[in-house]
Amino acid sequence: MTTQDPTPPLDDLLELTGDAVRSTETLLSQAHDHVLGQVTKNGRVDSGLLEAEQLAAHGFAWLATYTESLRQLHGWAERLAASDRFGTVEKLILQIGFGEYCSQICGGIPLSQVEIIRPRDMGLTSQQTHGFFKGGVKRLVTEGNTAAARMALARALEDANETGDYGALGFDDDMLDMVRDQFRRFTREQIDPHCHQWHLNDELIPMTVIDQMAELGVFGLTVPEQWGGLGMSKTAMCVVTEELSRGYIGVGSLGTRSEIAAELIRLGGTDAQKEHYLPKLASGEILPTAVFTEPNTGSDLGSLQTRAERRGDSYRVTGNKTWITHAARSDLMTLLVRTDRDEPGYKGLSMLLASKPRGTEGDDFPAQGMSGGEIGVLGYRGMKEYELRFDDFQVPSENLLGQVEGQGFKQLMATFESARIQTAARAVGVAQNAMELGHTYARERIQFGKPIYEFPRIGGKIAWMAVETMMARQLSYFAARERDQDRRCDIQAGMAKLLAARVAWSNADNALQIHGGNGYALEFPISRVLCDARILNIFEGAAEIQSNVIARGLLSPRN
Amino acid sequence: MKVLVPVKRVIDANIKVRVKADQSGVETNNVKMAMNPFCEIAVEEAIRMRESGSAEEVIVVAAGTTQAQETLRTGLAMGADRAILIETDVALEPLSVAKLLKAVVDKEDPGIVLMGKQAIDGDNNQTGQMLAALLDWPQGAFASKIENNDGTLRVVREVDAGLETLSMSLPAVLTVDLRLNDPRYASLPNIMKAKRKPLDTVTPADLNVDVTPRVMVVKVDEPPARDAGIIVADVTELVDKLRNEAKVI
Repeated sequence: MTTQDPTPPLDDLLELTGDAVRSTETLLSQAHDHVLGQVTKNGRVDSGLLEAEQLAAHGFAWLATYTESLRQLHGWAERLAASDRFGTVEKLILQIGFGEYCSQICGGIPLSQVEIIRPRDMGLTSQQTHGFFKGGVKRLVTEGNTAAARMALARALEDANETGDYGALGFDDDMLDMVRDQFRRFTREQIDPHCHQWHLNDELIPMTVIDQMAELGVFGLTVPEQWGGLGMSKTAMCVVTEELSRGYIGVGSLGTRSEIAAELIRLGGTDAQKEHYLPKLASGEILPTAVFTEPNTGSDLGSLQTRAERRGDSYRVTGNKTWITHAARSDLMTLLVRTDRDEPGYKGLSMLLASKPRGTEGDDFPAQGMSGGEIGVLGYRGMKEYELRFDDFQVPSENLLGQVEGQGFKQLMATFESARIQTAARAVGVAQNAMELGHTYARERIQFGKPIYEFPRIGGKIAWMAVETMMARQLSYFAARERDQDRRCDIQAGMAKLLAARVAWSNADNALQIHGGNGYALEFPISRVLCDARILNIFEGAAEIQSNVIARGLLSPRN
Repeated sequence: MKVLVPVKRVIDANIKVRVKADQSGVETNNVKMAMNPFCEIAVEEAIRMRESGSAEEVIVVAAGTTQAQETLRTGLAMGADRAILIETDVALEPLSVAKLLKAVVDKEDPGIVLMGKQAIDGDNNQTGQMLAALLDWPQGAFASKIENNDGTLRVVREVDAGLETLSMSLPAVLTVDLRLNDPRYASLPNIMKAKRKPLDTVTPADLNVDVTPRVMVVKVDEPPARDAGIIVADVTELVDKLRNEAKVI
C-alpha cells in the first residue's frame, strides 16, 4: 500500500458515481453522433457502411454496454443504501467497478484480448475525452481501483467462498433470497460432488437429476399458471439459472431451455398447441431441443436451407442440421425449416414442432427419416452435441407452429430476449463458480509461508472478479426486470449476455492462473470450468454478432 | 393431531462467526441468517408425519424479531401449513422461550411438539426439556428415529453409550438429532404457495409471559489462538519438556 492512497472506500461515493454515470452518458451520446455520421447514407443506416466501420460501431456497442452496466451498478448501490444494506463490501465493489470501467473508457475497452477500442476509434475528439475526465470520473479513475481498494475488498471477502455471498444482491423480494438459498443447497449437495466426473466421462446428466429438477419446478418456472407452470418472473429464472450453472453449466442450461421452448409456443402457437405442449414442458415430461443451426448457417439464419415440403397432411423435411444440443435424449424438436423455396430470406422460414423418440442404448436416433452423429466438444458437455440429417422426415402439418407458414423467423426472434437473459444468467453462474474455485484454492495453497490469497496480485484478482461478476449480474437482472414489465429489452438483454460472457471467460482464465500447474490438470474442476466458460462467447449470439445487433439497434431509429 | 414445530433464526451454518468489536456478542449485522439446521430436521419430520397420515396439521412457530418471519416462510415453503411469530426484540433465554411455547401449546393443543435438540448459536440444549417439564409431558430428546403406533411413540435416542429406545404416550415433546432425516428442498411451487399461507403474529405480552432476561452477558471472547508447535531433537528432549515444561508426566 502506498502512502498517498486514501483509505477506501471513498467518501461521498454515491455522488461521485452518480456524476460519473451522467458523464458517461454524455460521452456515449457524443460517440453515437460520430458513429451515426460514419454509417449513415441518404438519411439511413447503411449496411455497407456499418460493415466498413465495424470496429467503431462495435466499440460504440461496448461503450453503451459499459454505460448501462455503470448505471445499473449505481442503481443497485442506491437501492442498497435506501434499505440499509450498503456495507463495506458493496461500497468497494461500486468504487472499484466505476474506477476500472471509467479508466477503460478513457484508455481502451477490450472487445477481446486482441482488440482494444479507444475513444478516437469512435471518432471522439480529445476535447470530448478531456470533458469526460472531470469531476466524479476523475476522482474515481485516480482513486477508485487502487491496489489498496482491491486489497481492502479481498480482506472483506476473505471467507466469502464459504457461503458464496460476494456482496448483497439487492433483491426487494425475500422470496428470491429463499429461491437462491434452496437452489444453492440443491447444487451444493446434488451437483457439485458429481458434475466433474460427468464432464470427464463425457456422459449425459443423469435422469435422476432431471427428475429432481422437475420436482423442484425448474422446467415450468416462467410458464403461466393456466398452462401448468408457476408464472414466476424472469428475475427468478435468472436466480435459478445462475445457481444451477454455478454448479454445472449443463444443469443450468437444461433447466431453463424448456422455458425458452415454452415461450416459443406460448407466443407463437395456436391454443391447441399451447394446451398440448405447455403443461408437458412445464412438468419436464417433454424435453425439448432447438434445431436451428446448419453446417453453412450460423449467425446468418436467413440463408437457412433445410426444406420442408407440404404433401397432404404432413411436411417432409430434408436437410442437415448441426450443433443440436441434447438431440438424442429429447422428445420435441423446435425445427426451423424453409417452407417456401421461392422466398430465399427470412420470410420463407417456418417453425415445426416435431416429435421424436428418445435415443436408445444402441441407436441415438431411432426415427424414420432421421439420423445423426455426436460432435466431440471441449466443454459444455452433459447434454452432448449432435449433427442431424433429415431425409424425407415426416412431421404432421398440424405441428406447424401457429398454423401459418413463413412466421418462423419472427416467432424465433420473439424468444431471443428471454434466451439472452437466460444465457447471461448462465454466464454469471459460471463466472461465480470460477471465482469461488479460484478463491478456495488461493486460501488453501500455502507458498512462502502464507496462503497465496494474501498476495496482492492473487487476492486482488479475486476482488476484481467479485466486482465484475456483480456488474454482469446487475445488468442481467435489469434486463430481466425490463422483460417482466413487458418493455422491449432486446438491446439490454444482448448487453447483459455480451458482458457476462466476457466476465465468465476472464474469471475462468484467471482462476485457472491462480491454480498454477494444478489448474491445468484435468482432475481440478477449474480445468472444466475454463472449457465451459469458452462457449458463452460463442453460442446464443457470438460476441461479434451481439455487438452488431446492439450497435444497429442503438443507431437505427426505434419504433 | 397437530404437530407444533418451534424454529429458530440463527447465523447460517456455513458462516465463520465473528465477535463484535465491543465484545458484547457476535456480529449479526449484514450476516447471512438461516433456519437452525436441527429445526429443519424437525420441520421435515413433522411434514413426513402429515404425509403418512399420522398428523393433520403442521404449525411452525418462532420467537424473535420481525425478521424471524423469513425463517417461518422457509418452514412454510418446506410444507408446514401455517405459522406463528412471537415477536420481540428481547434476546430470549431458553426458559423464556419454553414459557412462550407453553402458552402457544395451551392455545393450539398439539399432540407433539417436535423441535431441534439445540440451536447452533447458543448451543444451550435446554428449551425442549424445560418445555416438557413446564407442560408435565413425557420427553424424548436427541431422537434419531420416531415411530407413531396409534398414539404410542417409540423414540430411538442417541446417547453416549449408544442407542436408547423409549416408549411414551401422547402428547409429548421430542427433540431431534442430526441423523433423523435429510430435510427436503423447498420446491418452487411450494415457495409460491408459502406466500399465501397464514402467518399470525403475537407478542409475549399477549401470551402473558415475562421475558425479561435473568442472565447478563458480560463479555464475549474469540477462542484463544493455538500456539505454534515445536520440533524436538530426540526422545530425551521430549521427555524433559513433558516433565518440566508441560508438567504432564
